[in-house]
Amino acid sequence: MSVLSTLAALLVPLVRINLIMTLTAVAIALPVSCLVAAARLSRWRAVHAPVTAYVNVLRSSPLVMIMFWAYTIGPMVTGHPNSAYVSALVALAAFEIAYFAEIVRAGLQSVPIGQLDAALASGLDSRQAMLLVLLPQALRRMLPSLLTQSLIAFQDSTIASVISVPDVMQMTNVINAREQDPVLLYAMLAGLFFVICYTLSQTIRRLESRTRQRMALA
Amino acid sequence: MFSGLDWSILWRPPFGGQLRDAILLTTEIAFYAWVGALVIGLAVGIAREAPAAPVRALATAHVELFRNIPVLVQLFFVYYVLPRLLPPAERHALFELGWEMWSAVLTLALYSSAKIAEHVRAGLNAVGGGIRMAARSTGLSWGQTQRFVVLPLLLRVIAPSLTSEFVTIFKGSSLAMMVGVPETAYVTQQLGTETFHWVEANTLGTGVYLVCAWLIAGLMSVIERRTRVPGLIGRAARG
Repeated sequence: MSVLSTLAALLVPLVRINLIMTLTAVAIALPVSCLVAAARLSRWRAVHAPVTAYVNVLRSSPLVMIMFWAYTIGPMVTGHPNSAYVSALVALAAFEIAYFAEIVRAGLQSVPIGQLDAALASGLDSRQAMLLVLLPQALRRMLPSLLTQSLIAFQDSTIASVISVPDVMQMTNVINAREQDPVLLYAMLAGLFFVICYTLSQTIRRLESRTRQRMALA
Repeated sequence: MFSGLDWSILWRPPFGGQLRDAILLTTEIAFYAWVGALVIGLAVGIAREAPAAPVRALATAHVELFRNIPVLVQLFFVYYVLPRLLPPAERHALFELGWEMWSAVLTLALYSSAKIAEHVRAGLNAVGGGIRMAARSTGLSWGQTQRFVVLPLLLRVIAPSLTSEFVTIFKGSSLAMMVGVPETAYVTQQLGTETFHWVEANTLGTGVYLVCAWLIAGLMSVIERRTRVPGLIGRAARG
């Protein structure tokens, strides 16, 4: 295989599986994690205890095991056979919810408490104060962390190959089994990820320093 | 739905013994990888503040390289590509030594060393330039300053982040199953595939990592309390 055709053979699953799966998982995890974070800060034990347990368990388990749970136990729960792709997506989203929720919680707690007092004093109820005052400020502060975590989710999407999702990792292994050219294939795969992730992480870093400057001015 | 659960399958032969060995192997991989990550991470983190510009550039390249490639991709690269650099006889010897396991140890050590190096840099900021300048002005060389002044303080300041890295390494060791290392995730999945006792297999697999993560966190919080540098912990956590 030529270098160019190998590159094309890797780029297709990278975009069609890894990128799409990551974006979908992040789109699911972001709103849910805001709810989870708000629940963690709740006064009532019946609300904060179960979500705290969820976050702690998910953050202490390897993604590999979450993938296996979704893939092997999913069909027993739903009664339908499920696709490896959907299992991996569910596992990745469930995993990222826990990580995002911690970032959102830290973000919410970083907003000065006076903001909440002022919002309540101006006549907003606690739900409005959360949605209209705390969350928008917290989101701006935590945007760099959320983007970094999304980039980690993109890297973690390669773990879907453990349940045979035909993602870029799995396809590289398949092509290697046929072509027996590990040096080219794995170097190219690593290079591809490096170029993408390095570019994005540098962009996030610039965004972060700009946010920090603006907040220092405000 | 979950009828016919048989938990005894986890300790009955043939899987009982295999699972015990698998858990020991997981611990072993994680421990070696953590020691490796700590040594490399400290060296690289300190090198990022070294006086010589080429040393700093190399250290930065190390961090960016290992942070921006998925750890699973790194594992396959290390496992398949590195042995190709050796002549066939040595390559054979490498696999005789258990390259499957050691490639996982090496990968996890390198991957985590990049993250530890970043914590080290944040820790160096927390320790502050004043202490280093004071040490240099008493006549210590750059190396002596690192060895006798910076490192003892630094280790205490970054202890909390080292805990979370150790937990990450423990979880990451499950990826070794992808190159055929019979560690916990690998053996529990084999048990599931052969017996269809998926609930038991997954519960054990996840349970092992959870218990280990919580044990490490508990143990390290004791160490952190004992070695806390007054007034510095808060600064490192924010840095």
